[in-house]
Amino acid sequence: MGDRDGMVRAADAALRSNGGGAVLLRIPGLAASGDDAEQLGLATPQFQDLLLYPTAFRRNDSVVKLLVSASAVKAVVGSLAFDSADVLFETAVGVVVDGVLYAITGSVATQAEGEPLCYSLTLRAPVR
Amino acid sequence: MQNAKDTFYEMLRGRLAALNPGRTIVLRGVVRPGVLVGENELVSTAELPDCFRLRWTQVVCDPDGALATLALQCEIDYETAGTAFNGGMDRGRALSAMDAELQAAVNVAPLSAIKNNYAGLASGAAVKPMGTSIWWEQVVFGKTEIKDERLARTATVMVMSYEETGEL
Repeated sequence: MGDRDGMVRAADAALRSNGGGAVLLRIPGLAASGDDAEQLGLATPQFQDLLLYPTAFRRNDSVVKLLVSASAVKAVVGSLAFDSADVLFETAVGVVVDGVLYAITGSVATQAEGEPLCYSLTLRAPVR
Repeated sequence: MQNAKDTFYEMLRGRLAALNPGRTIVLRGVVRPGVLVGENELVSTAELPDCFRLRWTQVVCDPDGALATLALQCEIDYETAGTAFNGGMDRGRALSAMDAELQAAVNVAPLSAIKNNYAGLASGAAVKPMGTSIWWEQVVFGKTEIKDERLARTATVMVMSYEETGEL
């Protein structure tokens, strides 16, 4: 267990030294039960922005990647009772980086001895 | 135009839920009948299986007559992987069941409904019945598509409506 915690801390340190920025994960609130207004697009759900730190953001032409600390993701998954990090990322509307909302198109976990160290998110920039 | 789209969705949702109350989806933590309008939901719900997803794809306006007539094309996408318990080997039967439900919901008379204005729901007001109706043609089923482990189909319904004065 100690080795695993050490690897997670080492991954976090690597993220901090390669950017170490904070981003916001935007997730929709629960739908209103039996609310026709939402189903007809008349009302929109409340959104919640969750802080993820540390992260490293990389943008190269059309490829946008975000490395996110597994410990930060684990904290969010645990506090909001999501089944897994995959479900969290699938549920999210996107990631807000410097005020710009990017959609999440894929996520891959980097693991060591079965312990996630960080998540690599593939993002899609908004159409301008 | 929006009132016709909303009325058709509400009609279809009610009929489908009555035909098969067990066809439900969980969307953002809430259980609801297995039918949705794609443009009213988050983009991430686009490929949800075992439910009917409505898309409004074409509008034709005939301005002749006392009231303009709108013809709205509604494409209804649905797909299923069958049930996991059966290893997906019942996906053909599951798709046929969805075909039958959609056919029964759309093709059973009356093929019309009083048009309602739902705009008041946004502020907690009641739904307002309007002076005209919407009506629709029988559903036309497209080919079966194979999407990895899923079988999918797109059905099309033409929905018509008079555009009342002052209507959006």
